[in-house]
Amino acid sequence: MPRWEKPDFDAALLLCLRLGAFLCFAGWTWVHLYWEGPYGILLWQEDTYRLANKFGIYWEEFVGTGAEAGFVQKWLAHTGWLYLACTVLTITVRKKSWVQMAALVGGGGLVTILAYAKYVASRRQLPMLIEHGGQVLIPVLLVMALALGVRHRLTVATAIVAVITTFAGHGSYAVGFWPIPGNFHAMTSMILRVDYVTTKAILHLVGVLDFVVCIGILIPGLRRPVALYAAAWGFLTAIARPVAGMSLSLNYWGADQFLQEAVFRAPHVLIPLYLFFLWSQPRQDVIPAPAPRPEPADSAPLPPVARTILLTNPNSVPTPRS
Amino acid sequence: MNLWKSLTTGCAALLIVSASVAQPGNQGKKGRPILTIPEVEKKDIICFALYTVHEKTLKLTAQLYPIPPGDTKTVRLEIQRDGKWVEAARTTVIEPGWTAPFRVNHWDDSKAYKYRVAHGTAATYEGIIRKNPIDKDEIIVAGFTGNSIQPAHGGDISRHDIVDNINKIDADVLFFSGDQVYDHYKHYAAWLKFGRDFGPIIKDRPTLCLPDDHDVGQPNLWGESGKVSTLSGAADGGYVQPGPYVQEVERAQTSHFPDPVDPHKIGQGIGVWFTNLNWGNIDFAILEDRKFKTGPAGRVPKQGPRPDHITDPNYDPASVDIAGAILMGKRQLKFIDDWAQDWRHAGMKVALSQTIFCGGAHIHGSANGRLHADMDSNGWPQAGRNRALAALRKGFAFHYAGDQHLATIFHHGIDEYRDAIWSFCVPSIANLYLRWWDPLEAGGNREPGSPTYTGDYRDGFNNKVTLYAAANPEKQPVGNLLNTRAAGFGIVRFNTKTRAITMECWPRNVDITNPASRQYPGWPRTISQFDNYNPPSWGRLGELTFDVENPVIQLIDTATGEILYTVRARGKSFSPGAPPGKTFLVKAGKNAPDTLVSKAAKVGGQPQTVTLH
Repeated sequence: MPRWEKPDFDAALLLCLRLGAFLCFAGWTWVHLYWEGPYGILLWQEDTYRLANKFGIYWEEFVGTGAEAGFVQKWLAHTGWLYLACTVLTITVRKKSWVQMAALVGGGGLVTILAYAKYVASRRQLPMLIEHGGQVLIPVLLVMALALGVRHRLTVATAIVAVITTFAGHGSYAVGFWPIPGNFHAMTSMILRVDYVTTKAILHLVGVLDFVVCIGILIPGLRRPVALYAAAWGFLTAIARPVAGMSLSLNYWGADQFLQEAVFRAPHVLIPLYLFFLWSQPRQDVIPAPAPRPEPADSAPLPPVARTILLTNPNSVPTPRS
Repeated sequence: MNLWKSLTTGCAALLIVSASVAQPGNQGKKGRPILTIPEVEKKDIICFALYTVHEKTLKLTAQLYPIPPGDTKTVRLEIQRDGKWVEAARTTVIEPGWTAPFRVNHWDDSKAYKYRVAHGTAATYEGIIRKNPIDKDEIIVAGFTGNSIQPAHGGDISRHDIVDNINKIDADVLFFSGDQVYDHYKHYAAWLKFGRDFGPIIKDRPTLCLPDDHDVGQPNLWGESGKVSTLSGAADGGYVQPGPYVQEVERAQTSHFPDPVDPHKIGQGIGVWFTNLNWGNIDFAILEDRKFKTGPAGRVPKQGPRPDHITDPNYDPASVDIAGAILMGKRQLKFIDDWAQDWRHAGMKVALSQTIFCGGAHIHGSANGRLHADMDSNGWPQAGRNRALAALRKGFAFHYAGDQHLATIFHHGIDEYRDAIWSFCVPSIANLYLRWWDPLEAGGNREPGSPTYTGDYRDGFNNKVTLYAAANPEKQPVGNLLNTRAAGFGIVRFNTKTRAITMECWPRNVDITNPASRQYPGWPRTISQFDNYNPPSWGRLGELTFDVENPVIQLIDTATGEILYTVRARGKSFSPGAPPGKTFLVKAGKNAPDTLVSKAAKVGGQPQTVTLH
């Protein structure tokens, strides 16, 4: 049995997604429980108050009296526990755990709200919304991988969308379609010790490469190296936060300030890595292969993973699983 | 391959549509400001001009719209003399930012002159360089802060009411304390809009705009001498935007300031602009209370949901007063020390900076509710705050600032309540972020009949403050977006003859010359210049009577050699205040304390006649 078709290889693929989801929720749990979630922009609004008012929550109950916390502050404090629950679920969820799977999909909804809050706070810059695609979709991907299989085409397609949205968001900023965030400049110049002009040139180049990723990941002949590049670049951009910000002179070396910034970006690394490993299977169409064997009409349906392989590699013959 | 085709087509369409539809220029949807660089005719290419005159030097910066390729980048400054326009200076426009800075030495400030900035043959922009108002008894300084252009804050409401009021009272100086620009990426476009809104009053009088956090593209600013900030919220200290962006901002807003007293650049090639402006016998210190300040993240123990916010009222304030944390910085403190002793051509001293030297609010309006302390204020670091106040009070400086989005009058204390300077924080032009002064307990030592929220308090950093007035927004700000959000502006009248300082705090869209118009509760308030260093525990030395009007007097502690203060007396007699139980060297002079008056003056000493001629 080839390495890439062993069950433990599928388990490794699943581990990529499970680890990505775990780290993403763990990082955001830290943000919510140790610091504060970024929802103020959504909650401190007349429209939100009017909605609360319909449920019988009045102004002082909503915003607090000044002496006592209101709905807004309490809600903000409690959100972190939902993230913590999702973090635990990423470890405990199994193939038939439908309730846990549903909860994790709900976790994706939590990250969607968070991404929307950041989008509104950024004055509705579209890249801010779509660059969270990887983080929003990672719990959904985990659920799909469990329910449908790590090689199912819907799982793969969702992973590709996650990569494309993340890189399109980053790329739109880096190329300059939207104003380049200051921290892009800051991290680049801090880590590489380069001047403003060089920093701009580097950001433009990597922005173009972000879009190359978005397109290349759709091209069968290119997708594998592109996925590897995406994983490497996702790793570098994630750790750039703590690398640029942490210092021995800070309390806890600044880890409590910066480390979570890398941790919740784990899907930016692990989703493309999952795709890279998935596509590590050699192209069967260039290997001399036996003639296609028509599936007997009366044979039992193939398992989902086998069907996926057939779809993408019509010449391949899956080895029956034990 | 159908899957790949579908995905390719779908994603390509998503990329193209999202990139073309949602460009930042496509704004103007409901609730969002339109911020573009308009295309103008060649005759209108000069947007506005700002200037100061200090010690016979005129510095004027013209702000231009983008000059089309091929057109000259030379801009001329012409002065009208005897009915004819005479070229006084010419300069080349600086990109990025399209600023044209002029400098004219040996400026005759004893007369007013019409000026015009000219570009090519079509464009001119006219204004008036005022005469130095040294013969006026009252110098009016209009103060502004927080210029949100967001419709949700009333930022889309015309500024004509401000322009009309400033013209009616004919203010002598305009002071914009910060956040003239709230857009974090498009300073140039927003600055042009600022110029279109306020240019009609700026062009005719000295104007000081201090860039604050939002001007340089970040929500808060602890500049740390030009460090690079990478943390969301910037509490790690430093600048979020790259150095050239910050330089462009400072070029636009401050290149017309008097020359910096200590021009050495900080990190990322960012300049400094702290200096002084002597105008109308008032010596204004223009301070940068953000540029050198230490960022709190990772330096102080975590005390709340953000590195700069403290929500636990039971925390130990001393735990955040960490050694090495900087507020003003050594260079700037040295400048303040020198400035406080220099009374040439000055009867009063005013410190201008972005924000006030205390935590000046209890409730912060972004769903955070009660905030015990905010390290974005100058209340932190406490040691740095006390050093700054101790330096400023040595010159009896009045402090004029903004930033807080909440108008207040504070009398600051260091060792005891009310032993340092007064501050007036002006309200926002349009209020982006709401704050309330809302103490849970009544203040101590309140004035009779004053509200319970006034009086002596410890702020969240345990600093001693005495509040006299606060213009809180409504608890539930709906309806009139400007006045329910406590928007407005400040007026301070400095009477250089009586040395009275009158603070006025006006809401928007009222005629401030109409006797029926009302200021925010607590205003107007008048203090004496000498209240800026008059601790309750002090006594008086024996009265000094001089043979000249308004001499400069200096007290030096004989035990330590430290200057207690330097001040210009009013009239021919002066009873110096001083702490009891100490002896002081008293010096005096017409314009500098160069004559020894007494070697060991004490509180309760005998009157003395002094000859300085």
